[in-house]
Amino acid sequence: MTTSTKKKGNVRVLTRISSIALFFILFAFIFAKFVSPYDPTELAVAPPFSSPSWAHFFGTDELGRDSFSRSLYGGRITVLISILAATVALFLGTIWGFAAGIFKGWLDEVLMRTADAMMAIPALLFALVCISGLGASFVSLTLVAGILLSPSTARMARSALLVEISTDYFTAGIASGLSRWKLIWNEVMPNVASQLLVQFSINAASAVMLEAALSFIGLGVQPPSASLGTLILQGYAKIYNSYWYVLFPSLLVVLIILLFNAIAENMRISMESDKSSS
Amino acid sequence: MNTGLQVRNLSVSVPTTSGQRLAVDNISFDLPKGKSIALVGESGSGKSLTAYALMRLLRAPVQIEGGEVVLNGELISNLTPQEFRKIRGGKIGMVYQDPMSALNPLMKIGKQIVESILAHSDIEKNAAKKRAIQLLQEVGIPAAEDSFNAYPFEFSGGMLQRVVIAMALSGNPEILIADEATTALDVTTQSRVLNLISQLAYDRGLSVLLITHDLGVAAQFADELVVMYAGKIVEYGEIRGIFSKPLHPYTQALLESRCDYTIDFTKPINTILGQPPKPENRTSGCAFAPRCKFKEDICESNDPRLESVLHRSVACLRVNEINALSGRE
Amino acid sequence: MILVFLALRVLPGDPVLAKYGASAGATPENLDALREEAGLNRPLIVQLFSWLGGIAVGNFGNSYFSQLPVSQLIWERLPVTIELTFLIVLLSCFIALFSTFLSVRKPGKKIDRFLENLTSLGLAIPNFIVGIILVITFSLIWGILPSRGYVPISENLFENLKLMILPTFTGAIVATPYLNKYLRTSMLELQAAPFVRTAEGKGLSHSNILYRHIFPNALVPTLTMLGLIVGYTLGGVLVIEYMFGLPGIGSLAIESAATRDYAILQGVSILIMTLFLLTTLLFDLACGLVDPRIKSNK
Repeated sequence: MTTSTKKKGNVRVLTRISSIALFFILFAFIFAKFVSPYDPTELAVAPPFSSPSWAHFFGTDELGRDSFSRSLYGGRITVLISILAATVALFLGTIWGFAAGIFKGWLDEVLMRTADAMMAIPALLFALVCISGLGASFVSLTLVAGILLSPSTARMARSALLVEISTDYFTAGIASGLSRWKLIWNEVMPNVASQLLVQFSINAASAVMLEAALSFIGLGVQPPSASLGTLILQGYAKIYNSYWYVLFPSLLVVLIILLFNAIAENMRISMESDKSSS
Repeated sequence: MNTGLQVRNLSVSVPTTSGQRLAVDNISFDLPKGKSIALVGESGSGKSLTAYALMRLLRAPVQIEGGEVVLNGELISNLTPQEFRKIRGGKIGMVYQDPMSALNPLMKIGKQIVESILAHSDIEKNAAKKRAIQLLQEVGIPAAEDSFNAYPFEFSGGMLQRVVIAMALSGNPEILIADEATTALDVTTQSRVLNLISQLAYDRGLSVLLITHDLGVAAQFADELVVMYAGKIVEYGEIRGIFSKPLHPYTQALLESRCDYTIDFTKPINTILGQPPKPENRTSGCAFAPRCKFKEDICESNDPRLESVLHRSVACLRVNEINALSGRE
Repeated sequence: MILVFLALRVLPGDPVLAKYGASAGATPENLDALREEAGLNRPLIVQLFSWLGGIAVGNFGNSYFSQLPVSQLIWERLPVTIELTFLIVLLSCFIALFSTFLSVRKPGKKIDRFLENLTSLGLAIPNFIVGIILVITFSLIWGILPSRGYVPISENLFENLKLMILPTFTGAIVATPYLNKYLRTSMLELQAAPFVRTAEGKGLSHSNILYRHIFPNALVPTLTMLGLIVGYTLGGVLVIEYMFGLPGIGSLAIESAATRDYAILQGVSILIMTLFLLTTLLFDLACGLVDPRIKSNK
């Protein structure tokens, strides 16, 4: 008993640290204008391809722009896209999954088959095709990523819904004459919500990966604006001049993904131990 | 006694909601060479745990808390794991409850038997194969040569249990432990398998420890009976004697609750009301007291010990009064 | 299987729809003429069927830009992708087997936990970033491996392999964690299986049990997983080929996506997905080989 509460305590601490770290980073991104030491578009603030220094934490790029500032602004775009995409996935996926779970029958079959079909296609390929058709932009990236992530969210939402529907309290509620919809809204949603939140975090991490990959192959955020992925692409092109240019945005991307994953994992663990002790 | 198995003060603990608690509490018994003992009890009495403890097949957090096991005059309970491996299969063989899950589904049965043979003797592969086929014949598997190359899923339950028995004997053990070996089988097959074990034991001079919850099986098979309740032995002795005159209230109740074709269906069937206590709920006093119709205050305050009565051991504080014995027997 | 086919039907719809917004960078009349020639003005359904029909005969149509038959382009570049995928899968299996055995021998101890953490890390890093780090370390700092380029096996096997090292490791480092996690969980679960206890009861040694009893049983579900992993690797090679300059169908896909050469893109996508399907089928069959129970049911 004591070991599990201790573990939960550790988990809580980790979640807190990860959340704080993430908020810190998000804060820096959102308020990049104030946080960043230089204007990211300002050219030649230092010699091109300089190594990291106190004046330029990440060094400079091929036009002498400060990498750190560019990373901050880039991070803002990356995180924005991924959170928006995760939101899209959340809405779409929840409606999708709930519709299947509530109405059952052939609708359920069709919806879930489609979900499986979509999940069977390698994500990058699918995204590639869509972006190619729709053109690469902030909006298209967000939508495509969101749509790509919704089938798995839908599956998760559906099974969570089905579990709740089969519980005693739900059946009792129906038996006492409450409307199905009211029940779902008031009782089921809060219980499912925490799982959806975990899924949200996981989706955000996946969205970051996807966006970064797409930008890296040139089908993401287009210059002059730049997401972290675009920065990595530009840095990679100049890798022989300086590897710092490409390294920092890369590490930043990994860090963000790890943080999202950590939050999701820790939320999941504390949810589970809540369930077992209650 | 320099032959056979002696178990002394064996205790096994299991994890419970309130920490490690004893599920087998200080039991001792002897398994003489060539004899068979039936260990009976309800589920939760600790009988299976005893068997696994003897084979050291317990996995953490279930663990042996103490006791000694002597085989043929030698202490085997303090051997290193490396040394003990020779005992497992080599001196003591075990037959398990569900034959289907007891065998590796992806390995041919012949190979599984040969594996065991090779682990305990130095013969070379072909000789081992011959031995294995012989064993299969001995346990009554038809077409032993072909069956050697068959997979477990190709056999029925009864046949598969014979394979398991063959495998248990392949290391040439002196002792065979059968843990509910017939529980998963239908009644006719049960009977056949029991007869097989009996025959093999006779032919090879094996001692058999039969774990079961079925008194009928025990009666058919064993020389001596050990009755366990809540981790302790409550009655222990020669089986026919116990059956004709059970001394412990629990044994009495067990025998009364048996059903056979002679029972009177107009009367309610005898059962023992209640449940055995779980390890975490065991307190001082007699563990059976709450369900015992002879319970008195003394039963709840004092722990019963095994005493010698009528050439057997009984653990009941009121054994003499209950059975109208003069106390000299 | 039906599901993937459904997906295949969705796919052509997309670029076709989007084509109407695509600009080939010409005057409206030219555009119209091009469209007419490429049959884009016919109703969608007709287009779909004629295209599917064409594929059945192996004709993917011609590239919009180069007018070369798409199938030829694909055929030239396919071997590269196949080689890369094959090497990646091979290496991943190798590493996963090795590290799982290390892990499972002493579950919960230091090496197991270290490898577990490594696995979690591996799951979080996008493949191209792994590639970047490898390139930085091995090409730039240590300068022992090339970072770009390709030489066909027929020309020079040694050079070919040397150029494939970094791309292969990139793909393997990303695929191994999945394999690892799955295999490890399978094997640990099996430790508690009844037949393992029987094996112990026979007096067999721990490593014997591990290799000859637990592992084969863990292999069967892992094979299915492996099929999936190969499929996803096929997706991942896109980026790997791109960044390492390997002329495979992955980089072809990216190029055609960028230039909006939908004929090529469609063709490549179909091919990749078919390959995915084939691999999954292949591994399912392999399952049947390993597990006699499945075989007998067929």
